[in-house]
Amino acid sequence: MVQILLYLVLAGTRAFSQTPSPGPFADAIAKASPEGYVGNSVCRACHPNIYQNFFRNPHQKSILSGKEPPEKTGCEGCHGPGRKHLEASGGKTTIPFAFSLMKPAEALDRCLTCHGKDFTRADIRRSSHSQSDVACNNCHSIHNSPVPKSLLARQQTALCYQCHPGVRAQFSMPSRHRVNEGFMNCTDCHNPHGTPAPTWRAGLRPRMVTQALANEEPCLKCHTDKRGPFAFEHAAVRVDGCETCHFPHGSPNPKLFRRATTFALCLECHNGAGNFGRNGDGVTVQAPFHDLRSPRFQNCTTCHFRIHGSNADSRFLR
Amino acid sequence: MRNLIFSFAMLACGLKAQPTVAPTPEPVGPPRGENAGTYNVLNSFELGYRFRAVGGDLGKYRSDVNFGNGIKLLGSRLQMNSRDGRGRFFDELTLTTQGIGGDPYQSSILRLEKNKLYRYDMSWRLAEYFNPGLRVSEGLHALNTSRRFQDHDFTLFPQSAFKLFAGYTRNSQDGPGLSTIQIFDSRGDEFPLFTEIRRQRNEYRLGGEATLAGFTLNVLKGWDNWKDDSLLNVNQRLAGASTTDNTTLSTFRRNEPYHGNSPYWRLFLNRNSRRFGMNARYSNVSGRRDFVVDELTLGTDRLAAARNRQILVLGNGSRPVSTANLNLAFHPTARLTVTNHTGFHHTRMNGDSAYTEIDNNTTAGETVNFSFLGIRTIETLSDVSYAVSKTAGLYGGYHYSTRRIRSRQGQSFDGFAESQAFEQDNRVHSGLAGLRLRPMKALTIQLDGELGRANRPFFPISEKNYHALNARARYRSRVFSASAQARTFYNTNSTTLFSHSSFTRQYSFDGSYTPRGWLSVDAGYTKIHLDTNTGIAYFAASQLHEGNRSIYISNLHTGYFGARLVLGKRADLYLGYSIVRDLGDGRSASSVIPLYSQTTVADASPVFLAAQTFPLSYQAPLARLSIRLHEKLRWNVGYQHYSYHEDFAQVFYQNYRAHTGYVSLLWSF
Repeated sequence: MVQILLYLVLAGTRAFSQTPSPGPFADAIAKASPEGYVGNSVCRACHPNIYQNFFRNPHQKSILSGKEPPEKTGCEGCHGPGRKHLEASGGKTTIPFAFSLMKPAEALDRCLTCHGKDFTRADIRRSSHSQSDVACNNCHSIHNSPVPKSLLARQQTALCYQCHPGVRAQFSMPSRHRVNEGFMNCTDCHNPHGTPAPTWRAGLRPRMVTQALANEEPCLKCHTDKRGPFAFEHAAVRVDGCETCHFPHGSPNPKLFRRATTFALCLECHNGAGNFGRNGDGVTVQAPFHDLRSPRFQNCTTCHFRIHGSNADSRFLR
Repeated sequence: MRNLIFSFAMLACGLKAQPTVAPTPEPVGPPRGENAGTYNVLNSFELGYRFRAVGGDLGKYRSDVNFGNGIKLLGSRLQMNSRDGRGRFFDELTLTTQGIGGDPYQSSILRLEKNKLYRYDMSWRLAEYFNPGLRVSEGLHALNTSRRFQDHDFTLFPQSAFKLFAGYTRNSQDGPGLSTIQIFDSRGDEFPLFTEIRRQRNEYRLGGEATLAGFTLNVLKGWDNWKDDSLLNVNQRLAGASTTDNTTLSTFRRNEPYHGNSPYWRLFLNRNSRRFGMNARYSNVSGRRDFVVDELTLGTDRLAAARNRQILVLGNGSRPVSTANLNLAFHPTARLTVTNHTGFHHTRMNGDSAYTEIDNNTTAGETVNFSFLGIRTIETLSDVSYAVSKTAGLYGGYHYSTRRIRSRQGQSFDGFAESQAFEQDNRVHSGLAGLRLRPMKALTIQLDGELGRANRPFFPISEKNYHALNARARYRSRVFSASAQARTFYNTNSTTLFSHSSFTRQYSFDGSYTPRGWLSVDAGYTKIHLDTNTGIAYFAASQLHEGNRSIYISNLHTGYFGARLVLGKRADLYLGYSIVRDLGDGRSASSVIPLYSQTTVADASPVFLAAQTFPLSYQAPLARLSIRLHEKLRWNVGYQHYSYHEDFAQVFYQNYRAHTGYVSLLWSF
């Protein structure tokens, strides 16, 4: 009997605790729109940490515009109508769009509701990140971003390295692009939101590499002297791209070379093997006077020094 | 608790970005900033002194690291935000700088924004590039240049349905360089040439974006101007690289102004709805360059005859490029996404140059060289992603591309013209399949593979029959995270009498652990293995050597470790270490055949039969101590050691050891 009474008391207490206490929110609940939107000012009562710093958040602009409909502004613009959350006196499960509980694809859908029209996110649905279930909130921290731009969850390089340790290793090489030094960022060459198919190589690889405005390799955004157009283009640069000879991230070899010696780099293509090259009968073999025993002929670019392209000489001699 | 997690995240930031010792990542000043009028202000400035002491090859150090001595503004950040979003001239101002005052890598980023009215983004960067003609690659071309980049982007009405854009980009490079010239014929000697590099690119952009009835149209028009006015001059008698050659150079002057522009258009149309997305892009660039080369050379040729040669080259190059893409994305249910991307890219490179050579006042006649290279690529990439359950997902795709390369190379001399035209097609089929697993919330596992087949690659080392395998696992909790990754890429490109194979394997492990608020540790290891085997042909003593191979083997082991400790309430100590070791093919340095020791024809083959392996090590331990003197003031000191050591045999080693460090004050006011 005592047990039954105790059970009834506990059950009553539990039932009471689940009953929403209208309290300070009763008025807000009563004034909620038919869809359940209660307005942003209600949220600040329980989430002052977020509210106090929200003036630094780019999403603040949606509130300030004063013209956006409730489903596109402030807290409820991202998290959905708040009435149920108020009625339940809180709880993540009562938030229609609680990003920490959402599947990656759902989080992506939610963000693209507003951000889907941007040019830089045109390929996000087919990006390698989306395929791997890496959604917006894996890289962006909307409420607690420690960096001043783009609401990133960490400094950009640290953010990328946490999933790409091999790339971190490449940027530790003696010859490297200066990413770790803070001079450049991963997004100088990559678009984490996806990119169109590359315009070099066969058009299928590499993925996620952004393109310069002329749809060229991103290398040419900075290395403009290699860009041309030249009267005589080195086909390797234009057909298969800079990666034919260089590692883009880092290399133990000088100048980010794929090989430590220049002659090895050149001779692996210029070997006359059939089926390759412009005319299908091989990429040109050097002329007989090149005596490869001599160091002067092992340094191909000593004479062929306009190797990226030339206006005056089809052999890139001047 | 939330603040604690945030603090941990900030600590991890400092750890992961360890490689350079300064600027100091620790924050200073009140975290919430200070209110001034209707603005909230966050600011910090770090002013300090960097020092370095290098033993060994200073040129190699400057090429790899390049930090020097002196007082620098190591870093700064100023952020002003209007608290009510109604600032008079701006609502947000963010300015960050790094390395100002002489560091080799300097940058400054500014954002200025007034809600609803305008947004302005500026970035400025400067890189001091130094290359002493590093010897492993036997590059004789030294550079000591400064490259400056600046980007300005202005957006009017950034939050409205109708926006206007304007932008400007400038990229300039200047400084001395060392180049080479070979005279007077293809068997002549090579000479060093000092050059004064002066290159500049200016790009102007104008555009607009309109959103109407769910469609967004973005239009951009740009003008890209380029000029290269580098100078090459020699006015003294120079000896050539070869001691046995009679060629001498007494006067050399080359002027080759190279100017041009690449105006472009870009159109982008987008439609995004709940279950369907579509966007299309078209761009056209019409690049053109005009050039003149005027080269005067005085000296003696390899037969010791006096020579007086002038070369004049006039011409132009053009490269119109058209690109179009269409993206379609269907996501009929929350579980399924189907996408297709179809792209078209067409590049046509045309050039002609009229070459006139006047030798000892005798004109040899004008030769007109002309060249065309056209590349047309069409690709279609279809991908599917399906979430089988909450814990598993599948994805896959079929990718196809067809590329046509047309080329024409010709010459016209004294009315006699010769031209050869070629055309070849290359098709690639590639399939991708993958599996995603999330057996528990903190653990994700991903496995995928790709198989590709190309019928006629353009180069002997291009991808032909390739497959790639990737596996990745990641565990992440609030105090501990770990990940492991394995990637392999195999490519073979062999024909009847030729073979090329390339194997890349990469294995990585890393983890971070934050057991207490005062201690965080992270560490990682990556192995990158590359070995390639390619058939080559070359001449030695006028004899063609075929059937030899170029074998390159690199076994890179890299590791890093970082630990951060908060000592008491005022001091932060960071200890870090990173190492790169290339073990080559495992042989000791003494057993690797020197590359340049061959003196006879019979010895020529081993140049390439020997595996090319270049064992070396590169280490960079560091330590940094940051002490909070006041809520708004920190004193920092740091030391970083760089050690580079080559274990392969060559005439000149480029080893160095460098002691670098800094002392600084980081303050907020």
